[in-house]
Amino acid sequence: MADELTPDELLDKIDYGAPSGDWMDTTKSVQIRPGMYCYAAKAESVETLGLPNARPWNPIEEDWKLPDNWQQILHEGIKERLERFRTFKIFMDVCVRCGACADKCHFFLGTGDPKNMPVLRAELLRSVYRNDFTTAGKILQKIPGGQRLAGARPLTIDVLKEMWYYFFQCTECRRCSVFCPYGIDTAEITIMARELFNLIGLNIDWIATPVSNCYQTGNHLGIQPHAFKDMLEFFVEDLEDITGVDCTPNFQKKGADILFITPSGDVFADPGTYTCQGYLILFKYLKDKYGLDVTWSTYASEGGNFGFFTSHETMKRLNAKMYAEAKRLGVKWILGGECGHMWRVIHQYMDTMNGPADFLEVPVNPITGTRFDNAASTKMVHITEFTADLIKHGKLELDKGRNANRIMTFHDSCNTSRGMGLLDEPRYVIKNVCDNFYEMPPNTIRENTFCCGSGSGLNAGENMELRMAGALPRATALKHVHEKYGVNTLGTICAIDRAALSTLCEYWVPEVEVAGIHELVGNALILPGEKERTEDLRMEPLPGCEEEE
Amino acid sequence: MTIKQCLKDNHNRLLKQWFQATINTYPAQSAKILGKDVDRFDNPVGAVTRETLEDILHLLASDYTADTLEKALDPVIRIRAVQAFSAAEAVSFIFALKDVGETIMDSAFAREFDRMVDQVVLAGFNRLMKCREDIFLLKATESKRRIHAAFERAGLVQELKEEDLLGSKKS
Repeated sequence: MADELTPDELLDKIDYGAPSGDWMDTTKSVQIRPGMYCYAAKAESVETLGLPNARPWNPIEEDWKLPDNWQQILHEGIKERLERFRTFKIFMDVCVRCGACADKCHFFLGTGDPKNMPVLRAELLRSVYRNDFTTAGKILQKIPGGQRLAGARPLTIDVLKEMWYYFFQCTECRRCSVFCPYGIDTAEITIMARELFNLIGLNIDWIATPVSNCYQTGNHLGIQPHAFKDMLEFFVEDLEDITGVDCTPNFQKKGADILFITPSGDVFADPGTYTCQGYLILFKYLKDKYGLDVTWSTYASEGGNFGFFTSHETMKRLNAKMYAEAKRLGVKWILGGECGHMWRVIHQYMDTMNGPADFLEVPVNPITGTRFDNAASTKMVHITEFTADLIKHGKLELDKGRNANRIMTFHDSCNTSRGMGLLDEPRYVIKNVCDNFYEMPPNTIRENTFCCGSGSGLNAGENMELRMAGALPRATALKHVHEKYGVNTLGTICAIDRAALSTLCEYWVPEVEVAGIHELVGNALILPGEKERTEDLRMEPLPGCEEEE
Repeated sequence: MTIKQCLKDNHNRLLKQWFQATINTYPAQSAKILGKDVDRFDNPVGAVTRETLEDILHLLASDYTADTLEKALDPVIRIRAVQAFSAAEAVSFIFALKDVGETIMDSAFAREFDRMVDQVVLAGFNRLMKCREDIFLLKATESKRRIHAAFERAGLVQELKEEDLLGSKKS
């Protein structure tokens, strides 16, 4: 046991010096730095949603144009939420500041900013809670130095600005919660903080405008139904060129077996569009082979739910559309596309928000007979579970050779891995459509996965420095497998990831491309009556079909 | 003894002190964690910083050019380019090598060593500019790549080609 420290050696390691500064002193530290914050919500978007204090404002200007009684609004807002959400109350009280979470946050690891340690980020709000809502805090604030002793501070404008800055530097990924011995879910603290900000009109535009779009036109990008349909029809034309088969989907088909809903990013944003084409191929295959009738909807044309990053009420309003449409069309159950936070909303909130969806059936795969008991109440199944089940029962004819140029790794999306435990199905699908698969290091995958750095509405352009810093831990692991195994493709099952990781790769590991899992499925799946394929879904030559130079 | 030999002989001491000086450019509470020698995936800033500084010291002790220095500096500068540092702060850690060298290197090499470090600093500035340009380029092209490209393929928007624009200028 020669490695063990003697008591003296251990004591030598203790730093008895006073801290260089007080973290609660906001006067020196609140610097809202360009590159790290997102633009303020547009007044029109806030207005559309009927949320309070719609007005133009700018976070880097002194005056945030808050209502005169903003402190009272927040105080009452905190009080109401402490009474309504038991978790919030416990998370405010129970933290012992052990620091287990401190170095687990991708934003802390990437930015090196101590206020991005989950414990300290939460403490920004907790300090206000202690001051205004705890007996000890109320007594101690009457004694000189008592506030500091209690770790309490009054809610001043500087405190508010600091909270706003840092709670929009959290992607609600919940990695910290995996390591917390008390199970504190810092994401929920961020969720509460953002709800409180919305009470006084302090949302960011990359959240508010997509929410407003979704509320009005059905999807985050604000694409109207005819354009949504046009895009899918355009994919159908491309697919006919590639496969020789007409993969035209159903829209709003009453009495279809299944309603399919995916994030609108899959329909409009590369490289998600290739994943979307993979869905079309799969549904065509299932229709021709097994007579399964899947329908899309231009009304429920958004699987994502940025309401989740605004408030519980907003999330509920957006989520309701999926179920309203499923009811109207009379489908049996809902199949959901490759998305991240959509699944946390479905898995953890939907049932108590808009459920139970008892007008739908417990999902059963009519082709294999598998009953998805995990979705017995929500009636909504993730497409990788569905496809994995089809593969497991030998229902898909696949040509792995068409993905032979892909050397894959897999990025677990925070919400599907930590939010619903979807860990093995995507891997199973990848391994069945592609021969080359290598895992990133164990402390960076599955429940321990590192966030892409752009989730929870932070995938804007203006905060690129924040996003790239937050992406560093993921990029370090990706670079490792790229260098060690020659990995050239990062697979993922989240629409935000497909967009965010592409930019991550460009900055940190430019040799790696990002692909959705169903893009690979679409490449490998042998459609009945297809012509000899020479191109993949990106219209690049399939392995073995490259032109000789 | 040559300066290169002196660098080789004192490699570990130089690395240790230079690394600590670099990590100390972060706020004290963060430096405690980032300075830990743990699994590289649990502390990428610490690991990448240590490896990069080590590579630079190896280069200085052997043959190097402005290009090889710049390339070797990339991993650490790429990180510091997106953190809350001003341009000066982002490359300041290289100057710290002068102070470290002063206490460790043979004083006969002082001037030569300072010149070496100056070359590393210049390479660092070049790489910082490159990384900042990368960031601006990402900002500029991201939305176009993500949305515009899809719209364009669908024929929902039509972007004028260079020749069209030139044509309209002429008319």
